Amino acid sequence: MDFNLTDEQQMLKQSARDFGKKHLEPLSLEIDHKSIFPASNIKKLAKMDFMGLFYPDEYGGLGMDFLSYILILEELSRYCASTAAVLAAHCSLAAYPIYKWGSEEQKTTYLPMLCLGEKLGGFALAEPGDAPAYAPDKVVATKDGETYRLNGKKYYVSNGGVADIYIVFAVTDPTAGMKGLSAFVVEGNTSGVTTDKYIEKMGLRGMPTTEMAFDNAKASLLGTLNQGSAMIQEILACAGVAFGAIATGICQTALEASIKYAKERVQFGGPIARLQAVQWMLADMAANTHLSRLAIYQTVNLFEEGKSFITEAAITRMFVAKASVDVCMQAVQVHGGYGYSKEMIIERLLRDVKGTMVSENSSEFPQAVIAGNLLR
Amino acid sequence: MLNGMLSPNQIKVQQKVRNFVKEHIKPYAREWDAIGDIPDSAVKAWRDTGLFCLVAPKEVGGPELDTLSATIVLEELGYGCLGTATAFGANNLCSYPVLLAGTPEQKQKHFAPLLEGEFGAFALTEPCAGSDAGAVATTAVRDGAEYVLNGTKCYITEGGLAATFIIIASTDRSKGTKGLSAFIVERGRSGFSVGKVEDKMGIRASNTVELVLKNVRIPAWHMIGKEGEGMKLAMSTLDSGRLMVAAQAVGAARAALDESIEFVKKRIDNGKPLASQQSVAFKIADMATVIEAGRQLVHQGARLKDAHQPYSKHAAMTKLFCTDMAMQVARDAMDIMGAYGYTKDSYVEKIWRDSRILSIYEGTNEIQRVVISGSLLR
Repeated sequence: MDFNLTDEQQMLKQSARDFGKKHLEPLSLEIDHKSIFPASNIKKLAKMDFMGLFYPDEYGGLGMDFLSYILILEELSRYCASTAAVLAAHCSLAAYPIYKWGSEEQKTTYLPMLCLGEKLGGFALAEPGDAPAYAPDKVVATKDGETYRLNGKKYYVSNGGVADIYIVFAVTDPTAGMKGLSAFVVEGNTSGVTTDKYIEKMGLRGMPTTEMAFDNAKASLLGTLNQGSAMIQEILACAGVAFGAIATGICQTALEASIKYAKERVQFGGPIARLQAVQWMLADMAANTHLSRLAIYQTVNLFEEGKSFITEAAITRMFVAKASVDVCMQAVQVHGGYGYSKEMIIERLLRDVKGTMVSENSSEFPQAVIAGNLLR
Repeated sequence: MLNGMLSPNQIKVQQKVRNFVKEHIKPYAREWDAIGDIPDSAVKAWRDTGLFCLVAPKEVGGPELDTLSATIVLEELGYGCLGTATAFGANNLCSYPVLLAGTPEQKQKHFAPLLEGEFGAFALTEPCAGSDAGAVATTAVRDGAEYVLNGTKCYITEGGLAATFIIIASTDRSKGTKGLSAFIVERGRSGFSVGKVEDKMGIRASNTVELVLKNVRIPAWHMIGKEGEGMKLAMSTLDSGRLMVAAQAVGAARAALDESIEFVKKRIDNGKPLASQQSVAFKIADMATVIEAGRQLVHQGARLKDAHQPYSKHAAMTKLFCTDMAMQVARDAMDIMGAYGYTKDSYVEKIWRDSRILSIYEGTNEIQRVVISGSLLR
């Protein structure tokens, strides 16, 4: 495997960085503080052809490789992780299942509008569990002629309320547990679909997360009936790599800001960068950022070569989830009180990075996936 | 939770504050976090407990709680809300220098407003003097029967609300840390003003501000101890403060553990409660174990101080261990809860943000390591 970027990838990476610096960075503080959905950023991403660039031309994409998409996410999240997360949910959680399992009709209907950025994709998997304040209320799909009707409630819908096309998982065989799940495409403006509650999160506050209720809402089956569980595993592996790239971009910013601050901040008669304790924190941060990136690139490589990547993706997710929070924790520590203040971006980086890797159901925990594959 | 060898009085204090937290803090802490303030009614309720300034001596009519009792109070407050604990704790922090070296007249002066229910604040940190306290650039120049203070302090807890302040200023800049002195300054002195109010990631119920001193004149008798004793007083103050911060950390971690236990018992995951999974149950065990270890460190530190034994190194170890422990427990709690833990519907989200300050304030954990290693490698 060759991790050297091609000239084209280098250029794309640079243009994403320039774009992020120019268009995303100035708004990022306000997007976080006021929980604003960055609609104008998304429009600009569409103009840059970033909304579906690794899907084939025939579906409105640019036919680029998956690594290019990952590079873009990494660069954009250096400046505004919320915007990058909206893009990742759109590309990896909504467009990908349609591309992978959709009928030709579903693909030609939905992919071009998603890839061109005319419509935004969303994803609804998690259901209200028995967590405090949430009643169990599973989404059940029943056949209605050629289509299905959904009833029930979803919790923690990515791009909830702002998306136009949703991938929704619903129960099609109540007796079969995880083996009775199927995937559906639901249009956001279909009657019977309502966005219930905007969920306030600690970070990634520009990416709307909502509850969503389905009342006899029309849905079209995606892929094979009752194959939802396997689809979930692949979608989460694929999206985990994308959100890992976002975490890595955040870490890169945290690292660079910490290096700059350590060189500038004078305590005990000189810059704190000359203190070994600070140097070792920077070394930890650099190592964790580097290893996260390598793990992601290697998983991308497997994916692009069409090899099995589920275990590797889970290992990556498990590593990055901890390493990236460690990096941003240390960034706050290097900055001291300034790192805790909302005047600087450091505290936001920490809040955002934690949100890139949350799992809803313990069977989705990377440890469960890894061990499951090891012991098969 | 093991109470070990607490006296009946200490257990009474614990129960009293626990009830207070349950009734007056926990139900509202989310709201205070959002608005960045503690409403007057809650502050009044706290005043009514008689614990508003725990360490105020009996000679001025204070409760003069022993250190162990004080840590018990702070642990319970930390259980309810770290921001509130930080705010209420400021009254103790600003009292230590006066307790250590104050004259009867100074004690009267300093504690009168605190006992009437006003806040107090301790001001050491400056924009260029964080970990390096010796870099304090605020000056105090003697002018006849007065001192004239000039400078800027930052990250001052309850500074925007306090009526009485302990200001650490330099009376001789050529002497570095040995040129620092401590002063009592009242709110309302001409030239004394509150600057920027900090918007923080967590402990948002507490007030954190910048203080600006422009030719603030105070009577010379407001100096605590002698010229040049400021650093020593500040360091002793922070020794005590570190035990209190560690106690708060234990409380916050306990809250995260309780939230986790409640969650994993109720949350059904693939048909069974999360609690039935070994990975979850073991994590709960680890969390409870380090919390208990932390509490024992805090209690031991308090007992050392109450027995007038040296406890600086122990306080530093306690602060280092308990604050890192609390952050780790908060991380574990959020990990157990998955996406729910990341939302503001969960209380753990707040504990996670609040806990991040613990390894920074009252001396960063790097400074604790300097103190500990310094005493071992002398």
